Amino acid sequence: MRKHVFLGLLLVYFGLPLLAALLYSVATRWTDTALPDGYTLSHWLNVFTKPDVVAALGRSLVLSAVVVVIEIALVVPAAYWSVVRNPRIGSVIQTISVIPFAIPWVVVGAGIQLVTKSVAPQLFGTFWLLAASTAAIAFPFMYRAVESSLLAAGAVQLSEAAATCGAGPMQTLVKVIVPAIRGGVVSGALLVIATAMNEFALAKILVGVSFETLPLWSARQFVSRTLGDPNALAVVTIFTFGLLFALSALVVWLGRGRVSASMATATVQKGTSS
Amino acid sequence: MTSPAPEPVAAGGAISPPRAAAATRFSPRRFLSDWGPALPLLLFTLATLVLPALMLVHDTFALPDGSYGFEHITKVAANPVDRQAIGGSLALGLVQATIATAIGAPAAWLITKMRLGGRAFWLSLMNVASNFAGIGLAFGFVALIGSTGMLTLIIKALFGIDDNPFPSTGSFSGMNIVYLYFNVPMFVLLTLPALSVLKSDWQEAAEVCKATRRQFWRYVGIPVLAPFVVAGWLLIFTWTIGVYAVAYAVAASPGAQKLITLQIGTTLETSVFGLGRAAVLSVLLMLLAVGATVLYRLSLKRAARWL
Repeated sequence: MRKHVFLGLLLVYFGLPLLAALLYSVATRWTDTALPDGYTLSHWLNVFTKPDVVAALGRSLVLSAVVVVIEIALVVPAAYWSVVRNPRIGSVIQTISVIPFAIPWVVVGAGIQLVTKSVAPQLFGTFWLLAASTAAIAFPFMYRAVESSLLAAGAVQLSEAAATCGAGPMQTLVKVIVPAIRGGVVSGALLVIATAMNEFALAKILVGVSFETLPLWSARQFVSRTLGDPNALAVVTIFTFGLLFALSALVVWLGRGRVSASMATATVQKGTSS
Repeated sequence: MTSPAPEPVAAGGAISPPRAAAATRFSPRRFLSDWGPALPLLLFTLATLVLPALMLVHDTFALPDGSYGFEHITKVAANPVDRQAIGGSLALGLVQATIATAIGAPAAWLITKMRLGGRAFWLSLMNVASNFAGIGLAFGFVALIGSTGMLTLIIKALFGIDDNPFPSTGSFSGMNIVYLYFNVPMFVLLTLPALSVLKSDWQEAAEVCKATRRQFWRYVGIPVLAPFVVAGWLLIFTWTIGVYAVAYAVAASPGAQKLITLQIGTTLETSVFGLGRAAVLSVLLMLLAVGATVLYRLSLKRAARWL
C-alpha cells in the first residue's frame, strides 16, 4: 500500500509539468480556469511559419550537422588507431573525457572565452567557435560509441585481413572499417545531435544573440514572458522534448545493449541542464 | 579487448623496431606512426578543453598589472553577492543529492522488483522525464505551479485560498522542486544496473538462516549497495552545481536564488574587465567537480569488490 502511494505520487510529479506544457500548446484561451477554455491545433500550425522560430530551428540543425561532421572526422581515425595500433591513445582520450563529463559546460565556455580573447579575438561570437566548442563537449559520446563498435566488429582482425590482401591503412579505414562500424557511428551521431540541438550554456556565453539557436529562442521567450508568445513556447517545448526523446529511444533501439539506456539519457541530461 | 602491446597490423609500410628502442630514443617517425591518426583529435581537445581549464587557473591568479596574486580570490570572498551564490550552489547541491538519493534509491529498488511490463513502463517514464529538461522544463513548472499555473488554480479553487500555495520557481525551494525532475530519474537510471549486484539468492539464503528483513538489510543489503548509492549522490551533487539552462530560466523572476553558474554567466556577458571574477568562480566549480569525481571513482572502485 505504502509502495503504491509512493509510486503514485512519483507518477503525478513526473506527469503534471509535461501535461501542463502540452495543454498550453493546444489551448485556445487559458487564463484563470483549471483547464483551458477550448482546444486548437492552430499554435502547432502557426509556430512553424514564424520566421524567428524557423530561423532558430535552422541554425540548430546546421550546428548539429557541422558538429557531427567534425566529430566523425576527428574521432574515427583516433579510435581506429587506438584499437588496432596504440592503446595508449585510448587512455589519454579517456582522461580528457573526464573534463566535459565532470566540469560544468558553463565553465568550459568561460575557459574557451578567455582563451579566444587572448589567442584569436577575431573568433569572438562566431559560429565556428560555437561549433568547435560543442564538438569538444560532445566528443566523448562519439568516441565511446565508435570504440565499442570497433571492438565488437573485430577491427584488429579485419585490418590484418585487409593488410594481407595488400590494402594500405587509408584504404582499410575507408573500405573495410567504416562500413563495419556504421552502426556505432550512427549511434554516436544521434547522441551528438541530441547534445547540439539542446545545448544552452555554450551558445549563451559564446555567441548570444548573434546566432540564436532554438534553446536561445526558448530562453528569450521565457524570460520576456509578458512580451513573448507562451503558446508558441509551449509548442517548441513539446517539440524539443519529443525530438530528444525520439533520439534517445533510437539510440537505445540501435544499441540494444551495447549503448545502455542510461548512457543515452546521461548525454541528453548533461546537454540540457548543464 | 585489445592486447596491451601495440600490434603493427594495419600500418602497411610502417616498420616497427622493438619497443625498447622506442623507449630509449625518441624518433619522430616512430611517434607519427604510433600517434599520427589520433593527433587531430588530441590537438583539438587540447585546445578546446585542456587549455581553457589551464587558462582559468592562470586568470584566477593573474593581476591586471602583469603580476600574480590572490587579489581576485579575496575580492570574490568579500563580495556579498558572490558569497550568496557560492552558499546557494553548495546548499542546492547538498539538498538535491540527498533528496534525489532518498527518493531515487527506494524507487530504483521497487523498479528492480517489478515484473517485466511494470519495469519497462517505469524505465520509459524515467527516460521521458530526463528528456524534459532545460528551458522547457522551467516552462512546464511555471505552467503548473506559477501564479496562474494549472495546479495553483486547482488548489486555490479547492481550498478557497487567494495566495499561491507554491514557492516561486526562482526561490531556493522552488528550484529544489524543479531540479528533482531531472535528478531523481538520473539517480534511478545510474543506480539501477548496480542494484542487480544484490542477488536474490542472497535474500533467500538470509531467509533460510532465519534472518529478519531488517537484519538482511543491516548486514548484507546496505553494506553492498552503499558505495553505489554514495557514487550516485556524488554525481547528482556535481551535476546540480553545474546546471545552467534551467537555473537561467527560473532565475529570471525577481528575488531569485543566486548561484555560481549564473554569476559566471552574467559576468561573462556584461563585463569585459571583470573576467578575473568569472575565472575565480569557474575554478571553484572546477575544484568541486574534480573533487567529487575523484570520490565518485573511489566509491565505484570499492563497489566493484562485489562484482
